[in-house]
Amino acid sequence: MKWRRIKAIVVKESLQIVRDPRSLMIVLLIPLLQMFMLGYGVNLDVQHIPLCVHDREGSQASQGLLHQFAASPYFSLQAPMGSDAEIRKSLDSGRCNLAIVIPAGFSKGLADNGGGSVQALLDATDSNTANIAANYARSVVAAYSAGVQMEFIRNRGGTVQTLTPVDMQARVWFNEDLVSRNFIVPGIVALVMAIVGAQLTSLTIAREWERGTMELLISTPVQPMELMIGKLLPYFLVGMVDASICLALAVFWFEVPFRGTLTALFLTTGLFLTVVLCIGYYVSVAIRSQVGASQVALLLTMLPTTLLSGFTFPIDQMPPAVQAVTYIVSARYYVTIIKALFLKGSAWTALLAPILCLALYALVMVFFASRAFRKTLD
Amino acid sequence: MADSSPMQIVVDGLVKRFGAFTALDGISFGVAHGEIMGFLGPNGAGKSTLIRILCGLLRPSAGRALVAGIDVAGDPEAVRRRIGYMSQKFSLYGDLSVVENLRFFGGIYGVSEAEMPERLRFAVDMAGLTGREDALVATLAGGWKQRLALGAAILHRPAILFLDEPTSGVDPGSRRRFWNLIHALSEEGVSILVSTHYMDEAEYCHRIALINRGRLVALGTPLELKQHSLGGELLALEGERIGEAIAPLARAPGVRDVAMFGNALHVLVDQAALRLPALLALLAGSGIADGRGRRIDPSLEDSFVHLVAAKLPPTEVAS
Amino acid sequence: MFQRIIQLLLKEFLQLRRDRSARFRLLIPPIVQMLLFGYAATFEVFNVATVMLDQDHTQESRALVDSFVHSSRFELVAVADDRRQVQAAVESSKAQLGIVVPPGFAELLRKGQSAPLQVLVDGTNSNTALIALGYAGQISGAFGQTYAQDLAQRTGRALGRPLVSVKLEERYWYNPNLNSRWFFVPGVIGTLTLITIVNLTAFAIVREREVGTLEQILVTPIRPVEFIIGKTLPFFFIGLLEVSIVTAVGMWWFRVPFEGNLLVLLFGTCLFLISVLAIGLLISTLCKTQQQAFASNFFILNPMFILSGFSFPIATMPQALQWITYVDPLRYFLIIIRATYLKGVGIDILWPQMATLAALGFGLFGVAILRFSKSLD
Repeated sequence: MKWRRIKAIVVKESLQIVRDPRSLMIVLLIPLLQMFMLGYGVNLDVQHIPLCVHDREGSQASQGLLHQFAASPYFSLQAPMGSDAEIRKSLDSGRCNLAIVIPAGFSKGLADNGGGSVQALLDATDSNTANIAANYARSVVAAYSAGVQMEFIRNRGGTVQTLTPVDMQARVWFNEDLVSRNFIVPGIVALVMAIVGAQLTSLTIAREWERGTMELLISTPVQPMELMIGKLLPYFLVGMVDASICLALAVFWFEVPFRGTLTALFLTTGLFLTVVLCIGYYVSVAIRSQVGASQVALLLTMLPTTLLSGFTFPIDQMPPAVQAVTYIVSARYYVTIIKALFLKGSAWTALLAPILCLALYALVMVFFASRAFRKTLD
Repeated sequence: MADSSPMQIVVDGLVKRFGAFTALDGISFGVAHGEIMGFLGPNGAGKSTLIRILCGLLRPSAGRALVAGIDVAGDPEAVRRRIGYMSQKFSLYGDLSVVENLRFFGGIYGVSEAEMPERLRFAVDMAGLTGREDALVATLAGGWKQRLALGAAILHRPAILFLDEPTSGVDPGSRRRFWNLIHALSEEGVSILVSTHYMDEAEYCHRIALINRGRLVALGTPLELKQHSLGGELLALEGERIGEAIAPLARAPGVRDVAMFGNALHVLVDQAALRLPALLALLAGSGIADGRGRRIDPSLEDSFVHLVAAKLPPTEVAS
Repeated sequence: MFQRIIQLLLKEFLQLRRDRSARFRLLIPPIVQMLLFGYAATFEVFNVATVMLDQDHTQESRALVDSFVHSSRFELVAVADDRRQVQAAVESSKAQLGIVVPPGFAELLRKGQSAPLQVLVDGTNSNTALIALGYAGQISGAFGQTYAQDLAQRTGRALGRPLVSVKLEERYWYNPNLNSRWFFVPGVIGTLTLITIVNLTAFAIVREREVGTLEQILVTPIRPVEFIIGKTLPFFFIGLLEVSIVTAVGMWWFRVPFEGNLLVLLFGTCLFLISVLAIGLLISTLCKTQQQAFASNFFILNPMFILSGFSFPIATMPQALQWITYVDPLRYFLIIIRATYLKGVGIDILWPQMATLAALGFGLFGVAILRFSKSLD
């Protein structure tokens, strides 16, 4: 391996990057814009669930319950419905996600047999939102129910000892306010980097093939390893600038708490970037047409990084076979590390396993990428 | 010209198959120090395949090729350090400037930092691009691009140069200047293997190898090819409606081949002086009143057409 | 006009037929991805790794712990001896949830007082944490209610009869078991189609331009509209084929019920494909090199996917972002495909989405054609 030849390639690639300011701008602006859009867009905190109500009774009691729903920040009350058909239609069309139906004998039931029930009809198409909405609805009804019970007992001259025999006291760690953005934004950093990284290098070789410069390159004494290093180094620098922009936005703009060490962050980011660049390079070597390389790079990065990295969907909830697949998704390790660094402030030692996996991954990818390139036309 | 030192390129029974298709079928020849060897043949004859094998871009299916004494299939990297290659497709980087391209290839070929400025100046001068060093290559006209590509290919002073149809798509003036450069290199001892389908260019080569359908059809100096490959002497016959005389001429005694060349007929005979009067008489008898004829020196094109059409087995014309 | 378009169509299909790897890329990945992502995308919470610390050691505390362990939602991974171990287990991510029954728990219960139960949760994934807390609340609540009623019956306290209460009866429409796969599988269908087709189309014209064949085609009497139609129709058919394949996987492999009318879905798909093709074309006319087309693809596809409502509800996004989602065809298609799958509704309900998709599609197509004609000058 000769540094002289690597240097020549580094200079050439850098010049080509600089010569194409439009692409360079895109490469630098993409992460910025994507971080902004996605950072705001990714949110699983359920609020303002559109709620419609059908009050068949119209009594003071029923209005009291509905008032509690209206007061909750989790629901936003739409116009009241007059019939079941109307409710069906508003759920069908998605205007409401939840409908509360109070039956005609509601207040009578409360007075007589000491119990009543209201119906919650949920649009469970989005099962997650429905699940969370049901939880919130349950707590609204429970609070109302508690009020009714107090009154009931007091009216009969009893004393209230407790309404909640088991009082669950929850303490949340690492993401104390359960803000979904806090755990998703670090994942977005990984996603944006995976995309930018793959995009940076996945065409470098394909382009040389299509423009005919590859034949000349092969006829020179340049070694595959030199070619790879020379081509990847400039993009590594660009990628690290991108990564820094993303990370800075996450910390300073989206105010995700950062509790780890910067050294660990940049080291693992560098490792991840190496993996991503090598994958892009490998694809580019293996597939000589630019369309094909693009298609495969897209396949390998966007959806796997979003869906299989633990970025939003917890890996431990996937079937074992799919969990096994996640081990070959490099973002899996990076997402684990970066989330821990941001929210848990984990020490090196606690993250040793994923960091080692990522380092091993990087080594393997460097090996394959450098070997993939054959200096022949057959 | 060729000297007595060992051959720079030795090709021995080279075969290249792509699936069922045989692109090269047992080719053997040698190229000496400072020799310009021209490869002539119709499109698809196998010229590019041969050059690519010699550069180590393709692996031979059978046979052996030694370049600078090294087996190409065995150690292509060692070969690559000693050769320069210019492909038929223009292949410098359009988005880099003249100097940047040269610096890049210089670096890749391992030209030392100390030697670089001199080599750069040499290549830029040679291409006639002095003063335009910073122009983007994409903005250059064809002739300049081609000379620049040649400059890039010889930055590292290779002992052997492979040029695959280097002058396709370049104007005649530029082609002449290009060939002057090639000859200058050859005088410095560089062996050059060049493929072309321009007959006039082939005349510039020291020796010519004629390739057709993957086989070596003839090999020799342009003069040898012209004189001996036909196996006879050439007569040019002219006259009004001369085309009508092809059939009767072909049947005449001593005539081996008749072909239309422009508005004349080229007739291959065993002995020109002996047969001319009889043929002129035959023309007059065929109703061609103003029939004229003379003996001519065959051109390369004559040999080429004759050899390709005859599908002769490989013949070593000269020793 | 038709003759020329048909010629162009033929050429496109011929090129595709020659390209064996392209055929492979078009058919196998959607199926593999569908299987993989269909399983991967889930927000359901089962078997949360749980560490227990019972400091009370009574019948009651054991009963409570049992009710956690026997639910499918929690899985006991460790029993701790003290609080430090609970903390350590959560900190090291060995457990996601820690449950501590403090000493004196049963005594308070027996007295009819409120007995504290401490739950420690790793909130890193706030969604999982929130749902797990919901389940923990339901389990501990149910345990408490049962216990209180038993107690009341045994001791005749609380006026000798169960307390009055208001119950919420939940009815989960369209997806009674809250199976999140039913939500995501249709989403994956739409997303895969979007990505594949935009990517293919985006390269269509740039490639011809870069290779130089565009010039060759343009000197023929073909008109821009004809050229573009001929260029995109093959991708339209590929898109339809792809949707059919992955929809089949969704129905027969994942067994997501299809309640609606296939024709409604087909119609919606056609409208969706038109706007997707138009986006690809627009990229293709705006970019000079394949490199740029590639960058633009990523740039556009990623937000289109993340902001489509695929997993993050649009209603919770800031208003400005919600406006952006109005030009995202995937947003409308996801509504259409989920509604036809799960709700079984028809055009009478979905017409607003369809009309918007149509307007979006034809509008973008118009812009693409205009851009294309301009870029020729």
